[in-house]
Parts: sequence; structure tokens; C-alpha cells
Amino acid sequence: MIDFLQNTIDGVMTGASYALLALGFTLIFGVMRRLNLSYGPSIMVGAYLGTLAHLHLAAGPLGVAAVTVAGAVLAGLYVERLCFAPMAAGAGIAAMVSSFAIWMQLEQAAILVLPRHTYPFPPLASATAWLGPFLLRLDQLIMLASALVLALGVQALLYGTRFGLALRAIIGNPTAAHLVGIDVRRATVLAFALASAVGGVAGFLVLASDAQVTPMFGMWATMKGLIAMMIGGLGSIPGALVGGLLLGVVEAQSQWYLGPQLRDLAAYVLLFACLVWRPGGLFGAAPVRDLARGRSL
Amino acid sequence: MLDVADLVTAYGKIEALKGVSLRVESGRITCLLGPNGAGKTTLMMTIAGILQPRRGTVRLDGQELTGLTPARIVAQGVALVPENRLVFPQMSVHENLLAGAYQRRGRGEIASDVERMYARFPRLQERRAQLAGTLSGGEQQMLAVARALMSRPRVLLMDEPSLGLAPLVVAEIFRIVGELNRDGTTIFLVEQNAHMALQVAHHFYLMEQGRVTFSGTPGELAEDEVVQRAYLGARRAAG
Repeated sequence: MIDFLQNTIDGVMTGASYALLALGFTLIFGVMRRLNLSYGPSIMVGAYLGTLAHLHLAAGPLGVAAVTVAGAVLAGLYVERLCFAPMAAGAGIAAMVSSFAIWMQLEQAAILVLPRHTYPFPPLASATAWLGPFLLRLDQLIMLASALVLALGVQALLYGTRFGLALRAIIGNPTAAHLVGIDVRRATVLAFALASAVGGVAGFLVLASDAQVTPMFGMWATMKGLIAMMIGGLGSIPGALVGGLLLGVVEAQSQWYLGPQLRDLAAYVLLFACLVWRPGGLFGAAPVRDLARGRSL
Repeated sequence: MLDVADLVTAYGKIEALKGVSLRVESGRITCLLGPNGAGKTTLMMTIAGILQPRRGTVRLDGQELTGLTPARIVAQGVALVPENRLVFPQMSVHENLLAGAYQRRGRGEIASDVERMYARFPRLQERRAQLAGTLSGGEQQMLAVARALMSRPRVLLMDEPSLGLAPLVVAEIFRIVGELNRDGTTIFLVEQNAHMALQVAHHFYLMEQGRVTFSGTPGELAEDEVVQRAYLGARRAAG
């Protein structure tokens, strides 16, 4: 029982990072009805800039976080400009495939440009504490708190501000959003930047807890964020949170009881079961078939 | 007031508008009639800036609108009530109205305009907290009109407000159109329902295959033999 609870705690902590990744994913999907496969790789670019700032400029944790977030936003805007802006009125599948191409581009660029592929990433806080029989890590608690705060923040932004009203109008009907005088292009770019910034925070926290970064981080972030988002429900913010935490817990339990080899399998079984029983995800904001659906202007 | 000159809009190689010129006079209701596929909605979308014309100009009081973004055109004072209404389905009635005032500043004035809309459309007030997607077709049409009015337009464009609505609801919509006009709103209306339009509009254009083929007063329209056969007579025979 102690094991089960400790696994659950560990799973929630890891799940918080999935939740953060899913949050950025779902924001882009919600506003644009587009899947950005380059989401993880753009975070990876930010993370390398962060670690270079640490190695060469002796940046502290806050500095590394700022550089990582800024780098992720810049790389995200690059992806938006290349894959999404030109496809504004075209099929969603074209934007998705081109974002796959940019994923490969960013990953290969990282492998070519950086002589040592694995770089140390400055840890944030390595303190641990015992809560009764349970072991807690401070950096993971920070991750969980960040996930909750950012999810609440994004929700408050969407439902409490003028910018949020504009985003929800675009989500509801892009043509009508144009017609009431919303600058759809500008709002979309801002949403993309915001999502990349959330991704940057996720990347910083995950890598600080791993203490290293590799070019494979991009793929890892895209896969985990995507699975968590699909479990929770495309375009849903509570869904991103719950989907991420659930994925983390299922992975942690299966790693303990079934072994590390079956851990990823368990994650995909969870996704499969979700898609069979609730094709829209747990908080089903939009059916998964929307992923490939084109959106007319 | 609103001048459209030699407007050409194309989808790929197919020209939906083949040089359309017409004029909407201030303070009046101008109505554009025409069959499906004549290019009426294309014209409305081009004026609103959603579609870019290949040639020609749209001017509001002499000011060029062509080439502006839809948001800038709203700022210039043109609001379109689109075909099929296009309300924001997951937002409440109230939020839809606030979205209509997106470009305006001044919370107090916006709030009093919202109250004015509720006074004009009591049904919307009853349903102010309801999601717009759950409203009936007629209620959604009223919401779309109210949302467009929230930008305080100088010209209100309406694309087939009667589409898919029951006869009694259509009559109600046209009563509102007449009322808005009497209160000073300039209206440019696209319709297929010629009989209803004849009761409110001051000037008519007829469009066929991307061209304006008739321009005249309601009296001239009713007397025109071609129009009679195609629009008024045909409907009578059918109905």
C-alpha cells in the first residue's frame, strides 16, 4: 500500500510536467484547430539556449528559465510563421505535416550544431523531504505548483480578459471573429507565443529535474504532451491537467508493478482505451477527428 | 454612402463577381436580390474584407475600404450579419454582445448599449446567460443582428437574415429591419425572399451570375416583367 501511494505521488509529480506540456498543446489546438508536432522540438531549442547561457554566461536558475522560455517562444513563432500562417485557410493536415518537417529540421540542427549531444542542465532544487513514510522532492513540488498555477492562469485569461474573449471567439467561429473586428492573425500569434512560453516553463522544470538535456527531448515532449492532451480532451484546459496527471500516475504504477519495459505500453493502452470509450477525451472539448479536419476561413 | 465600383472577386479561376457596381444610400434600406450562386454572399464577404477582390473598389463616404483587414473595416463603420448567423456557440448571449463591441473602449457606454439591445430584443434578455448555440434559429438571428449593432456601424450589412426561418419569425425579423432603419441605421440587405423585401426596402438591385442586371425602386421592380416572372410570379406559382 505504501508503495502504491508513493508511486501515486511520484506519478502526480511527473504527471505535472505532462500536464504543463499538454496545456500549451491544447491552447494551440483550441485556437487554431491545428496540431503542432514541432511543439516539443521548439522547447528543446529553448532548453539548449538555456543551458548554453548557464555554461557560458554563468546564468542562475532564473536566468536559465528566462532564456529557455524566450528561446521556446522564438522557436515557436518560427514554427508558426513557417507551418501555420501560410496554411491559415488550408487543410489542417498540411500544417501538421509541415510541423513534422520542422521537427526533423530542429532536431537535426541540434545534433549537428552541438558537438556533445548531451548537455548538463542546471538543477533547480535538489532538496528532498520525508512526509511520514513518503519521499517528496522539492523540484517536483515546484513543478506541480507551476502546473496548477499556470492552468488556473490560462483559464482566468480565457474567461476573464478581453484577449481571452477574442481567443474564445476565434475558437467558436473564426469568420465571425473577423466580422466583429478581432485581429485574428494577431490574436493567433499571441496565443501561439503564450503556448510556447508555457511549454518553455515545462521544459525548464523537467530538464532541471533530469539535470541534462539531449536532442531527443523534443520528441519526448511532443509525445507526452500529445498523449496527455488526447486523454484529457482536445482544447480543454482542465482536460490537459487531468490527462497529464493521469498519464503520470499510470506510468509510475506500471513501471513499479509491470517493469520499465511495459511502462510506455501502459501509457498507450491508456490512450487507446480513452479513444475507444471517450473519443473526445475525458473532458471532450472536440472529437479527435478534428485533428485532421481542415478549417475554412 | 457605400459605393461599390467594378468589383471582381474570384475563387481561383472562377470569377464569382464580374465587375459589380452599386450604391447604398445613407439612411435607406437597399436590397440585393438574386438566385443561389449569383455572388451575393461573395459580394458581402468582399465588402467586409473576408475576401479580397481582384479588381475594383469599395468606398464608405469616399474612404477606400478595399485592402483593409476585416477588423479595420469594422472600425470604419461597416458591420456584417453573416449568412447562417455564425454566433459564437460556446459563449453566452451576453458574451456574444460584448464580443460585438470588441473594438470599442468605454465599459459604461458598452454596458448601456447592451441594455439597449436587450430592450429591443427582449428574448435575448431572457436568455442572456444561455449559450448561444442552444438558441433557436430566430433567436440566433436576433443575436447576430444585435452583435453587429454593438459595433455602432454606419452601415449594417445583412446576408439573408430570413434563411431557414419560419414565416412568422421572418416577419418578425423584417419588422426589426424596418424599425432599425426608422431609427436611422443604413441597411444593405441580401435576400431571396422578394415579397418580404418589397415591404421594407427603398431601392433594389438584382444580381445574376456575378453581374448586376437590374436597379430600381420597389415600384419599378414590381413592374419589371423579367423580375416578375423570375421572382414574384415564380414564387406565387410555387407557393
